[in-house]
Amino acid sequence: MNALLIQFAVSAVAVALMVALAAWGTRGRARPALDEATARRWLADEFPGRAIDGLWLASDGKGAIAKSGDDALVLSRMGVGYAARRVAWVKAEAATVKDGRVRIPLADVAAPRAVLAMAAWPPKEFSA
Amino acid sequence: MKTIDPVTLATPFFILTVILEIVLARFGKLKATYETSDTAVSLTMGLISSLAGLLTAGASFAAAMWIYQHRLFTIPMTAVWAWIAVFLLEDLTYYWFHRLSHERRFWWAAHVNHHSSQHYNLSTALRQTWTGGLAGTWALWLPLSLIGFPPAMVAIQKGVSLVYQYWIHTEAIRRLPKPFEAVLNTPSHHRVHHARNPRYLDSNYAGILIVWDRMFGTFQPELDEEACRYGLVHNLGTFNIVRVAFHEWIGIVQDIVRQPRHILGWLFGPPGWSPDGSRDTSASLKAQWAARQGAPPTVPAKDAV
Repeated sequence: MNALLIQFAVSAVAVALMVALAAWGTRGRARPALDEATARRWLADEFPGRAIDGLWLASDGKGAIAKSGDDALVLSRMGVGYAARRVAWVKAEAATVKDGRVRIPLADVAAPRAVLAMAAWPPKEFSA
Repeated sequence: MKTIDPVTLATPFFILTVILEIVLARFGKLKATYETSDTAVSLTMGLISSLAGLLTAGASFAAAMWIYQHRLFTIPMTAVWAWIAVFLLEDLTYYWFHRLSHERRFWWAAHVNHHSSQHYNLSTALRQTWTGGLAGTWALWLPLSLIGFPPAMVAIQKGVSLVYQYWIHTEAIRRLPKPFEAVLNTPSHHRVHHARNPRYLDSNYAGILIVWDRMFGTFQPELDEEACRYGLVHNLGTFNIVRVAFHEWIGIVQDIVRQPRHILGWLFGPPGWSPDGSRDTSASLKAQWAARQGAPPTVPAKDAV
């Protein structure tokens, strides 16, 4: 039992070391803000065949919301890529805004919500 | 009986090579992308997985010992032919275990976390399940003990397979010489297995020998014209390790509670199965991809931020 605990403790220290090293290894790596062309490519890839009626980029470049028929297609930065989810537009439209960030519940335990910096939400042209 | 654990023996090698990959990538000497949160999740999953495995290790080993007492033959651990045989049969068992873990949701729930990183590096190899023992897939190896392979021998070979599969989780090695690519599971073959591109889904289940995929029709070579994009069909939106470990199990429970009469489908259908077909399975995604050929290209890897 002691040997097991020692092995676990040493492994935990090694994990901490490797995570610190990964932080050092990626220091200074810039992540470009999401622009419209890239957002559209991601949307086309994640939701192939879906027409985009409107697209709003997060002001910090960390995501986007697109309207596609009765659905909202949400991109939210996750590491090097984006978590993409589809929710009903009415739910996205009704999402709460706090401190300049819209919080969209995604009803998915693997991606519970998207929090995106939006100057204004919902967009006037699509407001009910 | 005193036995050896290849995984424990290889742990220093795991640590040193992850460090080496990070450092060499930092200086541009090899291809590898690391991200702090992702690495933390992968390595912590691995660390806790070693503890979680202890919960069921006793039961699974006891079951193997009981089966072994009713064995058909007695196979000596000292014979070379016996090691060759257990190598082949264990690897075949691994292929079917792995295929089951991808093609049926109950077992996918235990395996999904291994595929949940958007990166493909040596730390990804260590992103191991916490619930594999509870999912009971260890039972697939029991027939080897029934045949007559000592459980310790099977355990050692399982460890050898796990250690082998570690080093293939890298982008640093592009292709091995053709004879190796033809027979062995290689970094190239396993990159395809970890890719979320529709054409690459549900392929290359091999442990050590890729020949099983070639035999059973699940082999897919890595194509120069289509770079692998890693992760899940629906990538995680969180680095919360508890969600990483349990999200698919929770999803199953939520689906069953909502539609209990479809419990068998929710449990044992392919991942993405739904009664009304409103969700996508690997098969439907592949079919949609095939139908779209000629459509605009997918997101180039360079667009990944």
